[in-house]
Amino acid sequence: MGIDTQFLKGSIGLLLLNLLSRGEMYGYEILEEASRRSANAFEFKEGTLYPALHQLEKKGQIKAVWRKADNGRERKYYSLTAKGRKSAAEYQKQWHQVTGAITAILESK
Amino acid sequence: MRATEYLVGRVVASARIVSGKQRRDIQRELRSHIDDFVEAAINAGHAPDEIEKLVLANFGDPRQIAEGFAWVYRHERRRLQVFAYMLSTVLLAACLSVAVLAIQAGLAFSLGSSVTKVIASRHTVIEALDILVTVAAFLGLTSVETLFARHSFGKAASLLGAIFIVPILSCAAAGWPVRFLFFGLVNAVFLRAVQRFIPSRIVRAALVLICFSLAGLVLASLLPPMLHVAIGTICASWFAMGAGYLLMSDLAARVDSTLLDGLQRLSD
Repeated sequence: MGIDTQFLKGSIGLLLLNLLSRGEMYGYEILEEASRRSANAFEFKEGTLYPALHQLEKKGQIKAVWRKADNGRERKYYSLTAKGRKSAAEYQKQWHQVTGAITAILESK
Repeated sequence: MRATEYLVGRVVASARIVSGKQRRDIQRELRSHIDDFVEAAINAGHAPDEIEKLVLANFGDPRQIAEGFAWVYRHERRRLQVFAYMLSTVLLAACLSVAVLAIQAGLAFSLGSSVTKVIASRHTVIEALDILVTVAAFLGLTSVETLFARHSFGKAASLLGAIFIVPILSCAAAGWPVRFLFFGLVNAVFLRAVQRFIPSRIVRAALVLICFSLAGLVLASLLPPMLHVAIGTICASWFAMGAGYLLMSDLAARVDSTLLDGLQRLSD
């Protein structure tokens, strides 16, 4: 089932930081990984990923480097900075607080 | 893959990114993404003519992506816009000051009045300040108007008035004259209103020139009794000022956008 993109808007930073905390990745790989880990629930329009990555890079949470891949093609690889690692942990904590509170409301009688 | 190349080009062109290096980087990255997608689609057994359609369907709306990038790089763009605004203001004000003073000096000379009275340092400074503030307020008004979708003139003029309160109060607190700030603000709002709401160029020109000549006449009537020729000089001087401001209001937006384009090219 696809997820409403409005839900994703506020949480895309958390998702990207979390995915990159597992190792450096390039754009297409991030999308593949997000799709795989969410059992194809996250299938948002691919081009919209890049402004979000550039925003994180501008905030100093991730850094990027162009490198040649094994197939000879150049790709831009993203990885977390120390600031990004800290933000990822902080966002994750906030996410659990928010989802916990929402779940409590949704399941209350 | 001409359609995908067009898609990438449209994103980059519409994102209004100032830095040429940044634009090229985004272009390269989006192309690299599409190459990865195509490779995966070929491996999955899709036909070549089907792949292009898949790329276009999965990539998303280029306008939305461009807006995303435009938002990310908005501060760089605003910095450049402010720089272009300041440069246009100084350039237009300097050209206008020279032109108006030259016309006024010529008029004074031809009407038999003393040229030194027109070019006297105090008069020159006041005139230059009036022009500088008018140009700054006029360009500021046209820029602020772009922030509003509806009733943009009224809202922009109110906002500009609110912004002007700061320098007016600061000058007043420091004991400096504030007349040129009021003049610049009122003059800019008047010139922009004429430009926005009167479609005919001839009517616009006539209205501005008549208003400025009348302002000169009113000013002359407030001064101690003087010779007719002196009154004529003041009116002609205000007429020349009106002509200069009219020219400025026609050129301002073009000068500003030309300078912005030039600065953007310089940063490539």
